[in-house]
Amino acid sequence: MNNIRVDNMKTKKKWSKSIKENWPLYVLSLPGLIALLLFSYLPMAGLYIVFERYTYQGGLFGSEFVGLKNFEFFFSNMDNAIRATRNTIVVNFFNIILITVVAVTMAVMMNEIRSKWFKKITQSVMFFPHFISWVVVGTIAITFLDEKKGIVNGTITSLGLDPIAWYSNPWLWWPLLIFFSIWKAAGFNSIIYFAAITGFDPSYYEAATVDGASKWQQVTKITVPLLMPTITILFLLSVGGILAGDITQILGLTNLNPMLLETTDNITTFVYRTAIQNGQFESASAVQLYQSLVGFILVMFSNWVVKRYDEEYALF
Amino acid sequence: MHIIKNDKLLIWFSYIVIVLFSLVCLIPFIMVVSASLSNDQEVALHGFSLIPRNITFYTYEFLFASKGALLLKAYGITIFTVVVGTLFSLAVTVSYAYVAANSDLKYASVLSFVAWFTMVFSGGLLPWYILTTKYYSLHNNLWALFIPYAINVFNMFLMRNFFKGIPKELSESAKIDGAGHFRIYFSIMIPLAQVGIVTIALFYALSYWNDFFLSLMLITDRNLYPVQLLLYNMMSNISYLTSGGGGADAYAQGMSQVIVPTMTARMALTCITIGPVILVYPFAQRFFVKGITIGAVKG
Repeated sequence: MNNIRVDNMKTKKKWSKSIKENWPLYVLSLPGLIALLLFSYLPMAGLYIVFERYTYQGGLFGSEFVGLKNFEFFFSNMDNAIRATRNTIVVNFFNIILITVVAVTMAVMMNEIRSKWFKKITQSVMFFPHFISWVVVGTIAITFLDEKKGIVNGTITSLGLDPIAWYSNPWLWWPLLIFFSIWKAAGFNSIIYFAAITGFDPSYYEAATVDGASKWQQVTKITVPLLMPTITILFLLSVGGILAGDITQILGLTNLNPMLLETTDNITTFVYRTAIQNGQFESASAVQLYQSLVGFILVMFSNWVVKRYDEEYALF
Repeated sequence: MHIIKNDKLLIWFSYIVIVLFSLVCLIPFIMVVSASLSNDQEVALHGFSLIPRNITFYTYEFLFASKGALLLKAYGITIFTVVVGTLFSLAVTVSYAYVAANSDLKYASVLSFVAWFTMVFSGGLLPWYILTTKYYSLHNNLWALFIPYAINVFNMFLMRNFFKGIPKELSESAKIDGAGHFRIYFSIMIPLAQVGIVTIALFYALSYWNDFFLSLMLITDRNLYPVQLLLYNMMSNISYLTSGGGGADAYAQGMSQVIVPTMTARMALTCITIGPVILVYPFAQRFFVKGITIGAVKG
């Protein structure tokens, strides 16, 4: 007991000493801490909303406490919530995997290219989609996919085939959403891998060349294994977001088109539609809680798997 | 010999794939530009094409004449957010990253953890929305367009890695010479971290320019619409073009026969929206590769 108290006193002293000496550093970090508190940590505490019947007057922490009632409501109306969960997982699962595959491929190929101007020009073009908004992507999509005036249907009909109903057939939208995400993100994500590759020790490659290894062998036996830590870290970080639907993507591309909701309604758009637009907080708040919890559990779980596989690759 | 032949094949294959991917990234922009320069009726008849049909600036003339005031206002709002928001986020992020990079300080790892944790766990949209609008009163005012984006954790870590790359001896010798923390930060570290600061400044500027999440959630007053939200509303509601917003009727009276270019107007507006990004891009692009290469995410 006494020991613990002494230890406590010691750490307290250390803290106060550190604050006395380094107070300017604490001050510098304060605005950022406050911002994280207001816009990230208090919303976590705000998940308490699942246990109450939210009213505007009562607010987040003063509305009537109803315990697990919202979950009852949620389970009795779960069709749409389950649909939203399914859509979010399907789209994000393929996004995470395919964006990584395309980005790594691009980075590896870029590394094989010697011409500087070629690299510069193609990189500039490949990054660009990252820097436009989903609304802009939405209008761009119209020039391709509009059912009457789009260039895709124009080409299809000129070949004598039936036009495709892009904006009324929901089942086309899983691949479309995934395609647009890859289009927008893969080129930019490839910089991170490319940056990692340029940092590798060239002596590995020199030795491999001396031993007569082909380029392809160098890619599969040196580049990809060395990239694994970067791939794993980025993968672990994205797993936490697997239940976080991108609302701006859906709004920009489909405008919440009711005909497409079957496959495009994700958890975030579901919360937006039910709670923010229509004021039905019960099921939205329940969805919100499991979105946060499951995302967290997934990160912990995948980190645990990675740790068992190789300690060094784990996040923590 | 055999190996060398395969190597050449791999390199050629790389060239081809990269060219194809670049074309896939580029062609959509050419489509939008040529659609905005096309004649609206031609588009209605024959559809969009890669090369503009009957090149005309009519759509732009129509937009500026009938929606000029609205566009100008939206541009003003967007430019305000980009400038003020970028400066604000930079101030908050760079200082936080500097302290988090200070490995002598135990508290630095606490800061990194606090930031990192928000990447794996979040309260989601609903509590965020209620807190922001009801408790912080960030609703229908200019503050709402940048305060919530004070710190982006990805940019913070990028910046932290930058500061970590600066040799410690520099700040230590300054300390021996009697410089205080603020002095070391403002007169030594900030100038040394310039490349990193410019990189994240560009990231912030572009994300403010492109953002329509905050305005969609927090702005309902038409007078505060930034460009992206205006574009979004014109997409979802073509009547936004033909009526309301003032100007259109006056413009209609001035001309004997007004054709509202419903298809091409969105495209022209899209070009007006991405125009500035294209202008800054060649300058900005150098920094992205350099900045990310130095500060690459190492966890």
